[in-house]
Amino acid sequence: MNAPIPSPPVPARREFALGAVHALPIVVGAVPFGLLLGSLAAKAGISPLEMGLMSGLVFAGSSQFVAVELWSKGAAGAAVAGSILLVNLRHLLMGATLAPRLAGRPPLRVGAALFLMADEVWALALRRGEALTFAYWFGVGLTLYVAWLASTVAGTLAGALIADPAAWGLDFTFIAVFLCLLAGFWKGAGSLPPWLASAGAALGAHALMPGGPWHIVAGALAGGAVAAWRGRAS
Amino acid sequence: MDGPIDGALLAVILAGALATWLTRVGGPWLIARIRLGPAASAALEATPGAVLVALVAPAALSRPSDALAAAFVCLIARRVPMAVAVVAGVVAVVVLRRVM
Repeated sequence: MNAPIPSPPVPARREFALGAVHALPIVVGAVPFGLLLGSLAAKAGISPLEMGLMSGLVFAGSSQFVAVELWSKGAAGAAVAGSILLVNLRHLLMGATLAPRLAGRPPLRVGAALFLMADEVWALALRRGEALTFAYWFGVGLTLYVAWLASTVAGTLAGALIADPAAWGLDFTFIAVFLCLLAGFWKGAGSLPPWLASAGAALGAHALMPGGPWHIVAGALAGGAVAAWRGRAS
Repeated sequence: MDGPIDGALLAVILAGALATWLTRVGGPWLIARIRLGPAASAALEATPGAVLVALVAPAALSRPSDALAAAFVCLIARRVPMAVAVVAGVVAVVVLRRVM
């Protein structure tokens, strides 16, 4: 009777709901871009069904913008698919940082969860640290997935409805979201050297090759190199 | 008559989807098979921040108004909930773009 009551695990439903709530600011920023991508796709002769298939199966915003842009210019299919791969290579680095949270979990569920690893899902998940659960991950990921699927298809149906999200400052939403997430990784002045190296490399690469994913790769490698050099010294 | 789906585009979508999924599962798969020294661990630990910086730097520093708004978001990011910081940042950038 007087045995201590074991503390119950956090219910999965609550974790899922928390993830969905945390995804809302991201959804607000993603929907205008989904509509914009859809309207670009409509101009490129892509049907709502085709757009839905792309968003539902690829689910990677920036690579879809590149793919629609190339498709509209009549690029070869292999080149379009290859560009999707190049833009998404950054996932390798991002996924590697999640490895400690995924070790020992059922491979099938890990494979399904990682299908939803958009930049924003990854960043929110990392912020949860050791408290990360599958339920939270799917709460964030599925919320963004449904919003992205619905908005890109709606944009294709509506055609050229959304002219320019930048006119409403909506393009800044992503910058603000990523800066907030970045603030969570601040661990004192030691965080600064890799970040400055990353910013410098990203700006340089972006000036040389604008539009591509190279500035992300350049920034990640430069920041990692500085951190490695400092890590070896200490 | 063509079907509802362009065959060539469907092939691109399926290939792109498979490639993208492989990049997503590939990171944890590779890292589980490599033994990391202190330098590589430090690099990996710094990667999330470096990726986020690289994602935002070109856009955030593209013009003075956006850079100011970005600095503003950095200042308030650790003091208010994320939704508040994001909305405040968007309002700031709209105002700053108009006056700068």
